[in-house]
Amino acid sequence: MTLPDLGAIVKGMSVTLREMFNPPATIQYPEVKKPVFPRFRGRHELKRHENGLEKCIGCSLCAAACPADAIYVEPAEQTDAARYSPGERYAKRYEINLIRCIFCGFCEEACPTGAIILEHDYELSYYNRRDAIITKDKLLVPPPAPDQSTPRAIKDPGNLYAAIPPVKGGVE
Amino acid sequence: MPKVTIDAKTVEVPNGTLVVEAAKKAGVEIPVFCYHPKLASVGMCRMCLVEVGTPRRGKDGQIEMDANGNPAIAWMPKLQTACTTVISDGMAVRTDSAQVADARRSVVEFLLTSHPLDCPICDKGGECPLQNLTMAYGPGKSRFPVESKFHNEKRVPLGDLIMLDRERCIQCSRCIRFQDELADDHVLGFQARGRGIEIVSLSTPEFDSKFSGNTIDICPVGALTSRDFRLSARVWEVHDYPSVCAHCSVGCNLLICERDHQIKRIVPRENEAVNAIWICDKGRFAHHFTTAPDRLTTPLVRKNGSLQPASWDDALDAIVAKFAEIKKQSGASALAGLGGDRTANEDLYLFQKLFRQVLGSNNLEHRVGWSASNVGVDLVRMYGAGADTNLGALDKSVTALVIGADPEEEQPVIRLRLTRSVRNFGLNLIVANGRVTKLASHAKQSIVYRYGAESAFLLGMIRTILDEGLENKEFIGARVNNLDAVRKSIEPFTVEHCAELCDVKPEKIRDAARLIAQSPSFLILYGREAMAAQQHDPAITSSIETLLLITGHVGRVNNGLIALYPHNNSTGAMDFGLLPTHSAGRVKSDVKGLSAREMLSGKARALYVMACDPAADGNFTKPDLLVVQDLFLTETAKLADVVLPAQSFAERDGTLTNTERRVQLFRAAIKPIGESKPDWWIVAEIAKRLGATWHYRNSAEIMDEIAATVPLYAGVTYAALSDNVMMPRPPYGQGNPSDEPTEIAMGELENVSSGKQWLSVAESDASAKFELFWNEPRGEGREAKNELVLAVARSLYDRGTLVGKTKIVQPRVPAPYVEINSQDAEQIGVGDGARVRVSFDSRVIELNARVDGHVPPGTVLVPNNLDGTAALPMGAWVKIEKV
Repeated sequence: MTLPDLGAIVKGMSVTLREMFNPPATIQYPEVKKPVFPRFRGRHELKRHENGLEKCIGCSLCAAACPADAIYVEPAEQTDAARYSPGERYAKRYEINLIRCIFCGFCEEACPTGAIILEHDYELSYYNRRDAIITKDKLLVPPPAPDQSTPRAIKDPGNLYAAIPPVKGGVE
Repeated sequence: MPKVTIDAKTVEVPNGTLVVEAAKKAGVEIPVFCYHPKLASVGMCRMCLVEVGTPRRGKDGQIEMDANGNPAIAWMPKLQTACTTVISDGMAVRTDSAQVADARRSVVEFLLTSHPLDCPICDKGGECPLQNLTMAYGPGKSRFPVESKFHNEKRVPLGDLIMLDRERCIQCSRCIRFQDELADDHVLGFQARGRGIEIVSLSTPEFDSKFSGNTIDICPVGALTSRDFRLSARVWEVHDYPSVCAHCSVGCNLLICERDHQIKRIVPRENEAVNAIWICDKGRFAHHFTTAPDRLTTPLVRKNGSLQPASWDDALDAIVAKFAEIKKQSGASALAGLGGDRTANEDLYLFQKLFRQVLGSNNLEHRVGWSASNVGVDLVRMYGAGADTNLGALDKSVTALVIGADPEEEQPVIRLRLTRSVRNFGLNLIVANGRVTKLASHAKQSIVYRYGAESAFLLGMIRTILDEGLENKEFIGARVNNLDAVRKSIEPFTVEHCAELCDVKPEKIRDAARLIAQSPSFLILYGREAMAAQQHDPAITSSIETLLLITGHVGRVNNGLIALYPHNNSTGAMDFGLLPTHSAGRVKSDVKGLSAREMLSGKARALYVMACDPAADGNFTKPDLLVVQDLFLTETAKLADVVLPAQSFAERDGTLTNTERRVQLFRAAIKPIGESKPDWWIVAEIAKRLGATWHYRNSAEIMDEIAATVPLYAGVTYAALSDNVMMPRPPYGQGNPSDEPTEIAMGELENVSSGKQWLSVAESDASAKFELFWNEPRGEGREAKNELVLAVARSLYDRGTLVGKTKIVQPRVPAPYVEINSQDAEQIGVGDGARVRVSFDSRVIELNARVDGHVPPGTVLVPNNLDGTAALPMGAWVKIEKV
């Protein structure tokens, strides 16, 4: 063993020694959870308007944009007596296959109403492949108030704009 | 031909061509909204503005040359609409200048000021010309504030089938023009003016037309959408399968748009030779029977008096054992097969092969519920209209005689195409019937003869031609025998006498005859009413033959005979010998089998019914063994010993032969319902169990055998039939829109045709000799009795199994009615809408009276496919009383 070899060992051990005094990087998941970055792309959520109506209008543009073909939308016509979302169309079925999803966020970009947002839930494991297909009731966020859930009859039926809440700060 | 230069590309186009069409030839795209190649130009949308110039002429009238030696062009000071400007020789067109681009940008921007831009929820999104042209030529940004958008009504039902969105409408008037020019139902119009101009229905019930669905296809925006398809899928998510309509005998080409094994919608597939780009509403909307909840899903076998579900093996073994037993006891002549003319050629071929070759019986028939006379089996084989006769492009060199037919109700798209021929190309149309049909309004000569005296009218024309020496002597001399005998027999039938018999003015008969004889081409289209009359009067057949032969109008394109049959494969059923008199290939058989009436009255001990419902018409005696193969538990199936579930046209491959003898291929679009099987598979399984060595793995193999063994179908294989099948939309993968354009390119592909027509004898054998026959006409005097004669019509929307499963068209199914002339109605003392009792033979039915119709005095008309009006005898005497 030569002197330069010994120097290398000392150098390496000094790193170990230094790290012994640093606080540990390991966290006690799942008791402790690390916060994610604001623009982290986790599981999708379907958002609601302030009046509780679904933002999703069932246009299928998210499904069209999806490179993994993970989104399935079946639209249907709605009336003022049982209203889900503003307008004529709503998503009767909305399913995302989270095993297929690559969390690219293209659906969010394609959405004309800002209905689908990739939120911060990353705990996505399943005992069963079928459970990985999440349906609309799981994707939809809870209504702001209990009486604002969907479907519901709206006031002023027949008024085209009655179902659309005013946008804060005017039209973009 | 004149030469035109478009963006430095020079093309030669015929005189009268529009600039927009010339540009297509030069490969230059001129965007349009209101222009449609099948409709007259109006120049309303201004999207097609281009720069147009003509060669500058000097004072001496000579074309001036520029510095480079090219003709100098005098450009018009302002832009011109390409869709209304007709080309002239030497014309120059610029579509790529800044001025043109600016005009297009402005037009799109202007159109969008009143457009809601709700593309995400619009059914047209993805195949919308406005969307595409906005992306291609639009400004990208509007200078108008969004608050200033003009709003109008959304979701306005325009009848039962169409939904109108007034906000989206760009007022191009394509729908109005289609209804006026081609559908000939003037039911749409504009109301109000300026920005508030809107489409309104002018009829009651709203949008009362059999072709209303076509306006959805030609609407360049999402203003008109289907109430059936409405908001149920995006157009890029559906998969398109080429198919052929399952209803009438026109055989319109369809695309079935499928998603998740459900038919989402049906749209026309372009075939210039069959349906151009149109289909009727029945074909478009009445497809729900394919997935109706009461479809048969398993075989049923009668046990202890009731039908119980059984396995395929049990059901088939039960049939085979019983077939063998009856054959042993009573011989093969006790076995009979009744095949529906709604099944595919492959099924019909195997069905007759099973009976003729495996069971050894000639008892085959398909004509249930309609005339069982010789409905032109031989006539069509001999003189069928020349291949490539295009009913939508018959010009003024052609005369067409439509006799005893009501194509508006029975073959709507043929009516549409004849209308186009008359309007756009100058076809000479003669319409002859016992009443005034819708087609008659386009006829050059409309003739209303007396029902029962059809042959007298035809004989009158023959007599005129012979008397005036208008016959084709060259053709007769070379190829027609027996004319002298006919000349002799026709001696007592002077034109005046015939005219008296059929109650048509002699001059009208002479005019029609002269038109026919002097016309270079002549077509006869004869319909169900003439076929039914033929049952009592065989002179109709011989007169049609004589008329064609003495004028020599056979064996060429636009010449000969077209028999207008009721169902989508009536022609195929005759081609494959589902007849007691003919075997496959329309070859006369030596042994005559039982007729349908004999089969149903109990002369057959075992009856195998494939896809028809004879018991629904009454007069049905259940034989010892009754096997029914169908989609639904029909009246006949309820009586059956074994019921076998078959597949609809949407679940399987097959071929159909339309009324013009065109064989067309359709493809499976959805998964089979339950355990149902294709008809050919069931027939083949029975044959196998009876000891035949049949090995058909799919329907294509059966067609290969047909192509090899049936001379009429020589070479008609699936490979040959798939040629030229036009798919207007590009296929999509994985539900993602492709980068290719999604606009329907329909109407752009003139002269596209697919399918194969078999050749008639006159056509395939240029030296064939023909024999003339003489049958004595049986015209009776009608005035003597104080009764009315019954004419049996058919309604497009009927109470049948297929239409009955589609809710959306139910309001269109008329309540059973009787049409009475106002004179007769006055005598009986009833008005329009009154309830009347119609009695004939030993039957009495109660119906609503319609007095606004088109029947002549002495005749009443009842459609026979509505509630309680089945199996009416054509030409019977009826009595009508007020209820």
